[in-house]
Amino acid sequence: MGEQSGKFLLCSHYILIFAWAQNAWDMLSDEQSQKHITTGSGDLNDILGGGIHCKEVTEIGGVPGVGKTQLGIQLAINVQIPVEYGGLGGKAVYIDTEGSFMVERVYQIAEGCIRDILEHFPHSHEKSSSGQKQLQPEHFLADIYYFRICSYTEQIAVINYLEKFLGEHKDVRIVVIDSVTFHFRQDFEDLALRTRVLSGLSLKLMKIAKTYNLAVVLLNQVTTKFTEGSFQLTLALGDSWSHSCTNRLILYWNGNERYAHLDKSPSLPVASAPYAVTGKGIRDALHTNLREVDATEQATTVFLYLNVWHILHSQIEKQLQGGQLPIGMDNS
Amino acid sequence: MAAAGGGGGGGGRATTSGCGLKRRYAPHDQEEETMNQDQSSKEDWCGRLWNGMDLLKDVTENKHVLPTGLEGIDTLLGGGLCQGQLTEVTGPSSSGKTQVCLHSASHAAVKHMGVVMYLDTSNSFSPSRIATIIDGTNDLSDQRGFDLPHKERLKTMMRSIVCKSVFDIFGMFEVLHQLEVSLLNDKVKSGGRKICLLIIDSISSLLAPIIGGKYPQGRSMMISVAMILKKLAYKHNLSVLVTNHMVSAGNGAVKPALGESWKAVPHVRLVISREHGSNICTATVLKHTLLVFPLAI
Repeated sequence: MGEQSGKFLLCSHYILIFAWAQNAWDMLSDEQSQKHITTGSGDLNDILGGGIHCKEVTEIGGVPGVGKTQLGIQLAINVQIPVEYGGLGGKAVYIDTEGSFMVERVYQIAEGCIRDILEHFPHSHEKSSSGQKQLQPEHFLADIYYFRICSYTEQIAVINYLEKFLGEHKDVRIVVIDSVTFHFRQDFEDLALRTRVLSGLSLKLMKIAKTYNLAVVLLNQVTTKFTEGSFQLTLALGDSWSHSCTNRLILYWNGNERYAHLDKSPSLPVASAPYAVTGKGIRDALHTNLREVDATEQATTVFLYLNVWHILHSQIEKQLQGGQLPIGMDNS
Repeated sequence: MAAAGGGGGGGGRATTSGCGLKRRYAPHDQEEETMNQDQSSKEDWCGRLWNGMDLLKDVTENKHVLPTGLEGIDTLLGGGLCQGQLTEVTGPSSSGKTQVCLHSASHAAVKHMGVVMYLDTSNSFSPSRIATIIDGTNDLSDQRGFDLPHKERLKTMMRSIVCKSVFDIFGMFEVLHQLEVSLLNDKVKSGGRKICLLIIDSISSLLAPIIGGKYPQGRSMMISVAMILKKLAYKHNLSVLVTNHMVSAGNGAVKPALGESWKAVPHVRLVISREHGSNICTATVLKHTLLVFPLAI
């Protein structure tokens, strides 16, 4: 009798608490059935635990020219890979604050992605395409919802509007904001107000990520900080913003190669991996002794990067390569 | 209604909870009626009177310590998280605060100490990480390799960790209120597993959008959250663990967020930090009510 009443009390107590919360075992099975958004580079996927996680906010920061916008565009394309080819089959929202979204480049990356899919799945043409997404770059471009914002008020407004937008478009699986810091670095005299506004923004983004089961990717710039007697590169927006993401990935130059460093994650260890930006998008880095220089591919990459932003900041990069590694990391 | 002698803090807490407020709003004849009723209902109004020996007995028998499972932190805390107390872990970004929370939750689940309630504000609650910690060195990716009793044990342990995401301060108030109501309803029954640990990761991200500026409502909300947490900890014998982040203090130094008023709230405060590129974290005690540290900071 006592035992039975004990069991009943156990159940009733659970019912009260579990009515409005989830236990860790159920969340584990949910998490294991989640698909991740591939970045295009196998090494990068490995350090990220399979790719960018949904229901989490990932911050990607780096010096100008290292490939943040390329990675953002690649993720906006890769989220659309159909389910039968191992992707999420979702749509993307791209919020552009700097105007760095180049449509020709997006088309090129979409073509590269489709070519890789067809390489891996050579019999895809034979499948029935009744509900299937047509593997055309135009369809990939059509499923990116693009917002161009020009001031911090517009940025706050669009994030407030996102909830309603996502309620109407339930198949969006990634929101990329490029870059989240741009409009908050100038025009803000009251730093305390800026901290409050940004904390509110980050909580809204967390809520969106959790409620609509999508990934939020924030691209951030770097700034210099005077600590311990030297100038170091650190992510913009200060210490309080650095707590507002679930994962943080820092992109940096190591000699002539691009590296990504996973700086913050609740479940993965700190790690670095190389990656490359090619004509087809973000791919694995080739080792120097094995690298075959493809002349046309290299020419395309050089052409796309010779914009004003890169010219202005290439001087800074040269200085950095001579001195300390970015973000004060010891890569020994 | 004199406060209890000896014991100090416990007695003080007992008289502040209901006494003053209820007597102010009760009409005069109702108050007389209350005075004439038996001892137990008088205690409901004004809290129980303790003497020093009762308090000592309560502390040694009922107030256990919940180890976090991390040796260094447990040593600094004097065994672990005390029941009835609020512990704060603060530190710069990616220094390991969430890991301390996940380890405490897993350890409480493994030792079957009770239900753990985890309130998460930054989607950092990782069930796979909890499973990895519970298993020790077993690799979770090979789940099919588990033998059945092992999986059942893992399932029972993980089911005692309950997680809820909160994204604004009003949601937090609502969750705490629901928790209080559900705990009060169960209070008269005995047996079953009760909540033993409440983790909030992180409370500072909920308070950051409202603190500061020229209006004091943010700070008053922070203090009322603090009072609710301490009341929950005291009345229902919970340990409460919260995390805080750091802000700049001028000249490149950093200090814990939430300001001067928050400093008095937690019973124990720890600062942890991690050097770049290493997996070793260092913890420092900022404040502890029970232990004395020779090198006071």
